[in-house]
Amino acid sequence: MKWQRTNGLFLLLLPAYAFLLLAGGSFILAFIESTGNGEGFTWSYYLSLFDRRELTDGLTYSIWITVSSTVVSLITGWLIVRSFYRLIDGNAKWLVWIPMLFPHFVWGYFVLLLLGQSGLISTALVQSGLLEDRTLFPVLVQDRSGIGIFITYVWKEIPFVILMLLPVYLQLPRQFREVNTVLGGGQRHWFKTVEWPWIKPVMFETGLIITAFIFTAYEVPGLLGVSYPQMTPVIAYDWFYSASGEERSMAFALLMLAAFILGACALTGFALMNKRRMLLSKSSHRY
Amino acid sequence: MKKNIFYMSSVIFFLIPVLLLILKSITAPWRSGNLPDWTLRGWETVFQDSRVIESMAITLGIALAVALINLIVGIPVAKALSHRSFKLKNTLEVLLLLPLFLPVIAAAMGLHITMIRLGLANTWIGVTIVHLVPTIPYTIKVLKAGYDRIPQDMLNQGRMLKAGVWHAFRTIELPLLIPSIRSAIFLAVTISAGQYVLTAIIGGGSVITMPIIYYPFLQSADDTVMSAFSVAFVLIPAAAVLIAEAAAMALAGRLFIKRRSIQ
Repeated sequence: MKWQRTNGLFLLLLPAYAFLLLAGGSFILAFIESTGNGEGFTWSYYLSLFDRRELTDGLTYSIWITVSSTVVSLITGWLIVRSFYRLIDGNAKWLVWIPMLFPHFVWGYFVLLLLGQSGLISTALVQSGLLEDRTLFPVLVQDRSGIGIFITYVWKEIPFVILMLLPVYLQLPRQFREVNTVLGGGQRHWFKTVEWPWIKPVMFETGLIITAFIFTAYEVPGLLGVSYPQMTPVIAYDWFYSASGEERSMAFALLMLAAFILGACALTGFALMNKRRMLLSKSSHRY
Repeated sequence: MKKNIFYMSSVIFFLIPVLLLILKSITAPWRSGNLPDWTLRGWETVFQDSRVIESMAITLGIALAVALINLIVGIPVAKALSHRSFKLKNTLEVLLLLPLFLPVIAAAMGLHITMIRLGLANTWIGVTIVHLVPTIPYTIKVLKAGYDRIPQDMLNQGRMLKAGVWHAFRTIELPLLIPSIRSAIFLAVTISAGQYVLTAIIGGGSVITMPIIYYPFLQSADDTVMSAFSVAFVLIPAAAVLIAEAAAMALAGRLFIKRRSIQ
């Protein structure tokens, strides 16, 4: 019987191993291509990344866009869920789902259509006589500072944050509120001892998913970016298709560097939080 | 008051963009001083272009294949993660979710040469495989949450009544999982249908999905056509959900008849 159960477990996990082989394998292959393609191991592609002006400029630009859009969407989404989670769960959930239906680049196109120099807002301003000419409208999309990319990401990620945090708030046991009040805790205690520990793992997870996505997704900067500076994924994509083998390897080095940093953040974060989560789940699993 | 602010801002930020896109898709480019002229040209251009129609079919086909594989992989894994305890379970869960925190574009580039060697580059099968990387972690998450809501007692009762694994799955787990399965399919389909770079790398320009022609369209087509094309992206999850529901109903009907005839 025991053998049967473990055997059953093996069968249940078989597709998971297949997936890990696919995902893990693909990153290992990418790592091999970043270290000299099997003909002698070298870190030189990683080192030569920083000799390229276009990359160092691109990195600053990417980090700035990534951090600002992640922080803004995470905090806005969190504040919305925090104040309205009952309403959202009631009959507004479909509204939040709408942006999820569209790919990121469609949302990017909409931002261009709305805020571009010949977009809806500038046209409306010119027609109403508030603006003399559409060229006077500020360049908000396909601009050098990445405002268009930032707006697209914030607009598209807020619903994602809402949908990730919504179940967390709905599952927060109501008794916790009573316990807090009975023990004489105020709003600040409530946040510090109940709310924040409860939502922290999901906040961390959501924040990291968004960071990784924005830092390495090609679609939006490919559509709304300018030719200089460019975001990391655009540089990597161009290098990948470059005729020079060195640039191809550097594309892999660049993405693997991002993968190492993000992966290390994820692993340490989860390792730290799993300890806490074990305690939480042991104490309050069922009632 | 609080309620109204919330509803109003949700409508403005989440619904109005889509309504504007729809409005834009049925009006000629707006010129100053004039009311917009109504036109069906945008939609006609999109639906008369055989490449667009073909790309919709390919996008839908790949998305459905991705969703199906997601369920086949996700359901057993979610069950094991939720209702079994074994060594390194937390580690396995973190590893399965890890692709969400990593650049998927690196995975696609890494797979490229292997895909060429296996003859899967430039085929829809190759594209389907690479779309699994960003979708399966979400499916596992959604389905695990679904399994977490099924009490262990209920599964034990099935076992006590001598239900086999398959019988218990069909009569206890599956009906309770339906909402999670629905969201998993929906997520997998929308993620798959929104992939540009993974499809471009592995499909190599031979697998023409909707995102692949969206970018060149943007260079040539005007806003009316682009808006129609943008709105058309909704058709993929909509069609996928309809097909999934129809398939589920057909399957449930068959199972039902089979059960009746056994009795």
